[in-house]
Amino acid sequence: MNLDGMRHYAGTEPVDAVVIGTGAGGAPVLARLAEAGLKVVALEAGPNFEPGRFAFDETLADEIYWTEERLSGGTTPEAFGANNSGTGVGGSTLHWGAFVPRPDARDLALRTETGEGCDWPVSLEDLIPFYERVERFVGVSGADPYPWDPGRRYPLPPVPRNGPAEIMALACGQRGIRATDAPAAVVSRAFPQAGGPEREACINCGYCHQGCRNGSKTSMDVTYLPFALRRGAEIRPDSVAHGLERDAAGRITGVVYRRGGVDHRQSCGAVFLCAGAVETPRLLLNLGLANSSDQVGRNYMGHVATQVWGRFPDPIRMNRGYPSSLITEDMVRPRDADFAGGYLVQSLGVQPLTLANAVARTRGLWGPALHACLDDYNHLAGIGINGETLPCDENRLTLSDETDALGLAKAQISFGYGENERRLNAHATALMRDLWEAAGAHDVWVLERVAHTIGTCRMGRSGDAAVVDPYGRSFDIPNLWISDGSTFPSSLAANPALTIMALALRSAEAFLKDAR
Amino acid sequence: MPAPENSPDLLVCLHFLGGSARTWEPVARRLADTVRCLPLDLPGFGAATDATGYDVAAMADHVAAAIRSIGPARFALAGHSMGAKVALALARRAEGGDPDLAGLSHLVLVAGSPPSPEPIAEERRRTMLVWIDADPETRAREARAFIRQNVGAPLAPEDEAAATADVLRAAPAAWRAWLESGANEDWAARVAVLRTPALILAGSADADLGPAGQAALTAPHLAHARTEILDGAGHLLPLERPDAVAAAITRHLAAGPAADPEPVRIPDPYAALIASERVNPRLRDALAERARADDPAYAPAALDPVELALLRAVVARVLPDAGFDIGARLDARLASGAGDGWRFARLPPDATSYRAGLRSLDAAARAEGAPFLARDGEAQDALLRAAQEGRLAVPESQDPRLDTERMVLWFEDLRADAVRAYLAHPATLARLGFSGIGAGGTGAPDADGLARFLPGFARTGRNDPEPWEPEPARFDRRISAETAR
Repeated sequence: MNLDGMRHYAGTEPVDAVVIGTGAGGAPVLARLAEAGLKVVALEAGPNFEPGRFAFDETLADEIYWTEERLSGGTTPEAFGANNSGTGVGGSTLHWGAFVPRPDARDLALRTETGEGCDWPVSLEDLIPFYERVERFVGVSGADPYPWDPGRRYPLPPVPRNGPAEIMALACGQRGIRATDAPAAVVSRAFPQAGGPEREACINCGYCHQGCRNGSKTSMDVTYLPFALRRGAEIRPDSVAHGLERDAAGRITGVVYRRGGVDHRQSCGAVFLCAGAVETPRLLLNLGLANSSDQVGRNYMGHVATQVWGRFPDPIRMNRGYPSSLITEDMVRPRDADFAGGYLVQSLGVQPLTLANAVARTRGLWGPALHACLDDYNHLAGIGINGETLPCDENRLTLSDETDALGLAKAQISFGYGENERRLNAHATALMRDLWEAAGAHDVWVLERVAHTIGTCRMGRSGDAAVVDPYGRSFDIPNLWISDGSTFPSSLAANPALTIMALALRSAEAFLKDAR
Repeated sequence: MPAPENSPDLLVCLHFLGGSARTWEPVARRLADTVRCLPLDLPGFGAATDATGYDVAAMADHVAAAIRSIGPARFALAGHSMGAKVALALARRAEGGDPDLAGLSHLVLVAGSPPSPEPIAEERRRTMLVWIDADPETRAREARAFIRQNVGAPLAPEDEAAATADVLRAAPAAWRAWLESGANEDWAARVAVLRTPALILAGSADADLGPAGQAALTAPHLAHARTEILDGAGHLLPLERPDAVAAAITRHLAAGPAADPEPVRIPDPYAALIASERVNPRLRDALAERARADDPAYAPAALDPVELALLRAVVARVLPDAGFDIGARLDARLASGAGDGWRFARLPPDATSYRAGLRSLDAAARAEGAPFLARDGEAQDALLRAAQEGRLAVPESQDPRLDTERMVLWFEDLRADAVRAYLAHPATLARLGFSGIGAGGTGAPDADGLARFLPGFARTGRNDPEPWEPEPARFDRRISAETAR
């Protein structure tokens, strides 16, 4: 993004807040605090990009993924990097899919409903105003009406359906399942971005996950960050925060970060830690901070994100168009479920390397069978879910014995499905297989996948059992706030970023209220 | 037959342990019309029993001095068994710019010892060390037995007698030095990968240095090697099969220098798409870089040459006929340290994992009777299937080692890494008929760094291609063939 004319603060000048991370958790905080006239500095570990230089190529897109090594263990080891972890000004929103369903109200009260999982210390009703603000601000395109929430109105009409979406619509029609255009944080029309340059309409290039070149996909660097910058915020790219300085009372007084091989310090009144559900707990564990509850790193969650693929006689060319342009929420609580919670279903188009990686790695094909599958790229279409994962003791982020270039211990993540995830997965797999067979797919195969990074610094009402309060403030360190997917007490069936942004605005406003 | 311009005018011939310049005489006679042969005695053997300096480097110095004294414009090096290891060391010196060896044009490795420590049964080594210092009668008996053990079929009596006599006149110190240290010297890293065109000759009845040993240990060090197998022959090929050896050398020396590799051809329609305004310059440059021909003598940086050969062999089963050197590209990526952001917690760091995984695969193959590199595709597939399905038996003694369960994870990583390299290549994208690269060129960059007015796709539905979208290259071929008819 264009950082010309940005305000600069001296490291010795105590700013009101330092925001660590410029993704979906950090950017809205930065924007909201700057809007309120506070002095704010964001530290971003990755570089600042010029979106027009993203190149429609999966290999060149490595630059926007977090490639510092993490160790993945447990019975369902999750892939990181391109699967769910970004870097650069804008964080993971540079590569996210911009799929923005709101969570179902029941998912935030799962324990009350089912006795499983846990309740959030906040209700959907509390969050709806924030969802609406985010959707209006970033420009969400979606169906009108939205079948599962008739009162909801999206600011923009849907993006065009692509081949996989057409097939899923057909199959759902045959099976009596409601399906419609997915809510996408991609502008289907030219969009006058508040506080930033106007965004052109989506050109259906299909490269959401490799970096949007024209700003039609919502990423923080074309939405909240320009807004923040114009209101006096400073964004420092290539700055890896690795230390928090505190006074005798334990309050944070400054952030130490490495830039260009040299350590710098920024004096501050408060810190928002927004580095995501892996880097946030990793930093706290490395520093031994904010963990009197012993909850930091616990209850790591990835969504059950199984996909079903098939080959169709017609050319699909699934690389074209918004990749996940159809949704059904009919399975948020399936009638015949033998599990708690539920899942969302979406159509899937992916670029060839992403497909090939999955086919070679998870489907296990090689040799002539691998070639045969890849050679059919233009005839493939997928359907996938995002399903509830319950918090679980065994699923935990800890520190490895290995260290990174800064001497900080690497993150080791242990993740595995429990009985609830296995049942949900079996239900979803059977449903998707049936849909794809109904649609006339040949050579149907199932691709197990885990998506997103969630949990590890859960929010709660009591400092005994949670790391932060319902607004994201640390129970242990009163001027430390966490704003990212790490605070989620449970995964929800919905994709996390919209909720991360909504919670970020809510945290920022709680901070402002405190400050007054 | 007129000699091509690149033909050498001298063939320097190096003998086996216990042999001498005389070993090469039958071959040299047959090559009289092809090339002048210079069989040499290595220090401690033949007429050079008084010369010392028995390690590989010293033997190489000895040979280099002989070559310098002649100063051939172009010469070839032939090494038999022990002599082959010396020849490999000299070839490395030549390729490294040693002016004395500047004219080296061809290598001939006859039942050659590999650059790495030579496989020899400990029992046999011990026996050979004992009798070389025994009483004359024992020495005579054992020397003859030694010759007989190393041939596929009996030599003519006079040849056997001469070979036995050579063994008996060798300096025992030189004999011991080879068995105790020379054969164990590890030149694998120093020899690395040689560009000099090489002929590998192997006797099918040669136990340790036959076809399997050559494929597994020596061929990986040679970018341009051709192997000929002499059916029924043992280890003493210049004595056993002088006709065949001479004929093979004649063919080899007539061959020109290895041609520069051709890059994989990008079919014309796809090349035209890449060149068009629909493709942005950054991507076009990246595709051109990825399309460049790989260096056949690529020197691995994370793996050693044998491991690279194993990796290439595995990749050839995972992605048959990919058309370019995925193995070398994976090695370069491993050496760069660029990762994909995670690894299985149960595996060691990537480069370590690859080395251990490849060596474990080979160890499992050897335990079942033959090195991985000496097996045909079907047998290699069987081992890879076992690795994938968690039933590969990796010998406990293997070090570095991945156990059965880790082999499952490592082979999964390898497949993912291989397709990553494969899908980056424009020839692969052409094969798929992939249109995504054409979603837009430069557009009109604005002050905020956004690319405006990119074409993207106007059509997104199924069965609704835009007119410019490419068809898979394999269909292109079929269509053009039909059109031609």
